[in-house]
Amino acid sequence: MNHLNEEELIEHYYSKGAGVDAAGEHLEQCGQCARVFKALESDLGEFVAVEPPARDAAYGERVWQSISSALPVYETRKRSWLRINLWQGLSYAAACALLAAAAFFAGRQWEHKQSQTAVQNLPPPARQQTAPAPPRERVVVVVLSDHLERSERLLVELKHADADSEETVSPLRDEARSLLAANRICRQDAKKIDDPDLATALDRLDRVLANLANHQGNLDAADLTRLQNEMSADGLLFQVRVLRSRIPERKAAKAARSEGGEI
Amino acid sequence: MVRMDQNDHAAIRAILAGDKEAYGALVARHASSLFRVAFRITGNEADAEEVVQETFLRAYRKLEGFESRSNFGTWIYRIAVRCALDRIGRNKVDESRRVAEASDPEQDQVQVADDAAGPERLLLSGELGALQEAAMSSLTATERTAFVLRHMEDRTTEEIAAALGIAPNAAKQAVFRAVHKMRMRLAPLRVRI
Repeated sequence: MNHLNEEELIEHYYSKGAGVDAAGEHLEQCGQCARVFKALESDLGEFVAVEPPARDAAYGERVWQSISSALPVYETRKRSWLRINLWQGLSYAAACALLAAAAFFAGRQWEHKQSQTAVQNLPPPARQQTAPAPPRERVVVVVLSDHLERSERLLVELKHADADSEETVSPLRDEARSLLAANRICRQDAKKIDDPDLATALDRLDRVLANLANHQGNLDAADLTRLQNEMSADGLLFQVRVLRSRIPERKAAKAARSEGGEI
Repeated sequence: MVRMDQNDHAAIRAILAGDKEAYGALVARHASSLFRVAFRITGNEADAEEVVQETFLRAYRKLEGFESRSNFGTWIYRIAVRCALDRIGRNKVDESRRVAEASDPEQDQVQVADDAAGPERLLLSGELGALQEAAMSSLTATERTAFVLRHMEDRTTEEIAAALGIAPNAAKQAVFRAVHKMRMRLAPLRVRI
């Protein structure tokens, strides 16, 4: 039989009244442990709780008087509210940001799906045409639109130009020089995207622009007539107008082909 | 008890809303019970009064953290125990000096074995109580507090652990050590008696 140690006896002493435990059953059977427990009871029994000096009824009031001046008035409810509002505000901001991000992502996904569906609904040749185009094409369309507009204006002015007036011819020459560089870029792009109509028209325009830009001195009537004839013979102004009128269609086609459809 | 809780909670709401005077009612209601436990832990009336004041000051500052579902009496009781523990910790140097003087085993034996005095006279003159107090003083602050709460305040191990901010097993061990040390201290006296 294992005897109870002091800790078990102490625990049993303080758990008296909590029902019969294993230690209690052991003490009933073991005289040696019972004697030790009795000694413990005797020792602890001598430790009677010291009765504190009595406090009168006004004691609480005296304590209150002694500390009340040191206590600040609570205004921390407001701070607490601020804290709560701050956290709430941050939570709302985070939730809104999350919502906006989710909406943006969902929008992108939806748009992507829509454009894919639109392409799939196109007939096969058109679908082939609308195969993924590099983003640069979109830029080309915009540049081309601007270029054709300026070219058309120049050609109209050239058609009605007065050869004797230096004030008229000089700005035309400057504009032609400016357009010449842009025209070459557009020509290269037209060849790259395999648009023969556009490439041919830009070739013709290039010739007219080059003649005008590179002409030394004033244009005389013969030079001007030659240029105007060249322009008319090719139907260049008409071609430029036709190409300009097709720009919206080109934009739409590019938009359908491209992922975002933006220009 | 429930009514008192409701009164306490109503007072706390008023205090937090800016009515400082409402704290006076809480102080009046709980000061005596806190004095009792503070006195038992510190063993000194002046210290106990200071502990009570400090407890109410500390509790006031922490009032925002008081959870409304808790019992204010239990909550402030724990604060009082901590304050008392701090107090006896601060007095430890002085007390240990007193313990060294009063609990010297040789001195105990001299006191008890004095033929002229005799054990009966010792008991009658209250020196037993003084020796018990000396034995109590030999305990660490935690042991003394744990013993007071267990033996005199009849608190459970869990309540002692919560009041001291320690694990229940550590609280139980603190009580064991306290009882063991005090029995050892008083053993010579028991033999003589």
